[in-house]
Amino acid sequence: MENLSDKFIWKALKEGDLNAFSILFKSYYPKLYNYGLKISNNNVQLTEDSLQDFFIYIYEHRENLSDLENIAPYLFTSYRRFLIKILGKKTKTISTNVHELNVVDVKFNAEEILTKQESETFKNKNILKLLNNLPKRQKEAIYLKYYCELKTTEIAVIMDVNYQSAVNTIHKAIKNLREEISILQLFNI
Amino acid sequence: MKNKDYKNIEDFLGDESFTNWVYGKNLSDTSFWENWLEKNPTKKTILNEARDITLGIKFNAQVLSDEKIDADWLKLEAKLKTKNTIPLQKEKKNYKKHLGIAASIVLIVATSLVYFNSLKITHKTKYGEILKLRLEDGSNVILNSNSKISYYKDDYRKIKLSGEAFFEVEKKKATNAKFWVTTNDLEVQVYGTSFNVNSKHQKTEVFLEEGIILLELKNGVSQKMNPGNFISYSFKEDKILHQEESMKSSLKTSWKDGTIIFEKLLLKDAIKKIEETYGLNAIFRDEKSKNKIITGVVPTTNLAICIKAIEKSVGVKITLKNKNLIINNK
Repeated sequence: MENLSDKFIWKALKEGDLNAFSILFKSYYPKLYNYGLKISNNNVQLTEDSLQDFFIYIYEHRENLSDLENIAPYLFTSYRRFLIKILGKKTKTISTNVHELNVVDVKFNAEEILTKQESETFKNKNILKLLNNLPKRQKEAIYLKYYCELKTTEIAVIMDVNYQSAVNTIHKAIKNLREEISILQLFNI
Repeated sequence: MKNKDYKNIEDFLGDESFTNWVYGKNLSDTSFWENWLEKNPTKKTILNEARDITLGIKFNAQVLSDEKIDADWLKLEAKLKTKNTIPLQKEKKNYKKHLGIAASIVLIVATSLVYFNSLKITHKTKYGEILKLRLEDGSNVILNSNSKISYYKDDYRKIKLSGEAFFEVEKKKATNAKFWVTTNDLEVQVYGTSFNVNSKHQKTEVFLEEGIILLELKNGVSQKMNPGNFISYSFKEDKILHQEESMKSSLKTSWKDGTIIFEKLLLKDAIKKIEETYGLNAIFRDEKSKNKIITGVVPTTNLAICIKAIEKSVGVKITLKNKNLIINNK
């Protein structure tokens, strides 16, 4: 059902329907905005500017867009690539490790973690620190799955891995968190 | 399903019985999994990991304000326009100007009949009643007379309708959740919008006031609607009965303000509306009054005033006897 709606919005956009484009913008802008902040290390100006350029790019190239069943992973992937490219240009002059830039380093803030966790395991006061200490890939997978509420199949597309390895990354992250928490509990912290 | 081997993490994830146990939803699943754990003590760790993956970590996602989103959209729209990449759009008409008429009419708001049948909620109206409802997410539903909506408490954005209702759907930007209205003929998929659905007389009429919706007709055809569009479809006859590009909003939605607007309508057609609104049966004593033309506004929740208004505007005599409206030429 969800996919069908996406398909229809996407088709209308390809025909140049501005109404459809505004719906697309309004439903995905907040999510991509947040993703942009995470990728750019909270650079608001850069995130806003890049999103304007990104959506203009989508609209101008709408006729060349391929038919999509599901918009979310496409937008996340393209925007991720789009922003990383901009960041790459900005930092090239100071010669940063370019390979490093293809990895997103998500940083969670204290106010983003709900104190009311459904799982007993994660009802832990150190959860923020533990999350931020996870390996970058695992952190991004956690962000996409639980923060953006994307499906594992979609996360696989965005992170450019197969389904199995997306499942494994999420599994490893949860396993790591559980282990760290049980160690902390051993020491009664 | 329960006979399968649970070995790897993905055998648990997405498994219905497992999910039920995680959320304590189903008693037999709960006892199955408690049992399973006793028989497979070595699997305890992976089971708990799967449970934690399912429950996940709860985030308080930072949400942009509607004002900010709208402002940034306008900025983008302006840029697109100066770049001349936009095909010409039809100008949107001002549909709202007719809505003031109803101000003097007091609505009789029906008591809502709520049945908690396994968390299924039903609201019903009698003839001559209008019911205004507010759903948990802030969406408004106005139910016309002799109509019914039902939905499940935990899934209130999927509504089944028989009769007529007007919807003002609250946008859910944070989750991008949609809204569905289903009738016997079709399904309406909504993206934050206001629209009218009337499923009386074995057909469904949909009028879109604002926003965008997609119709999934029962015959499998889907159709997009833009503001001002009107469509009438019958699954029984398997065809679109009527379709209009830009219909005046007040004609289709005035009932929600307690009025019906007639615009150059034959009295016999206007009286049909009155019959279905008040649950009456009309009898014309002569042919001449049937074909009189009526233009004007009548209330939907006050039969006495309604009869008087019609009498005065077209020059007929209407008497009410045992749910029968008897109409005579004057």
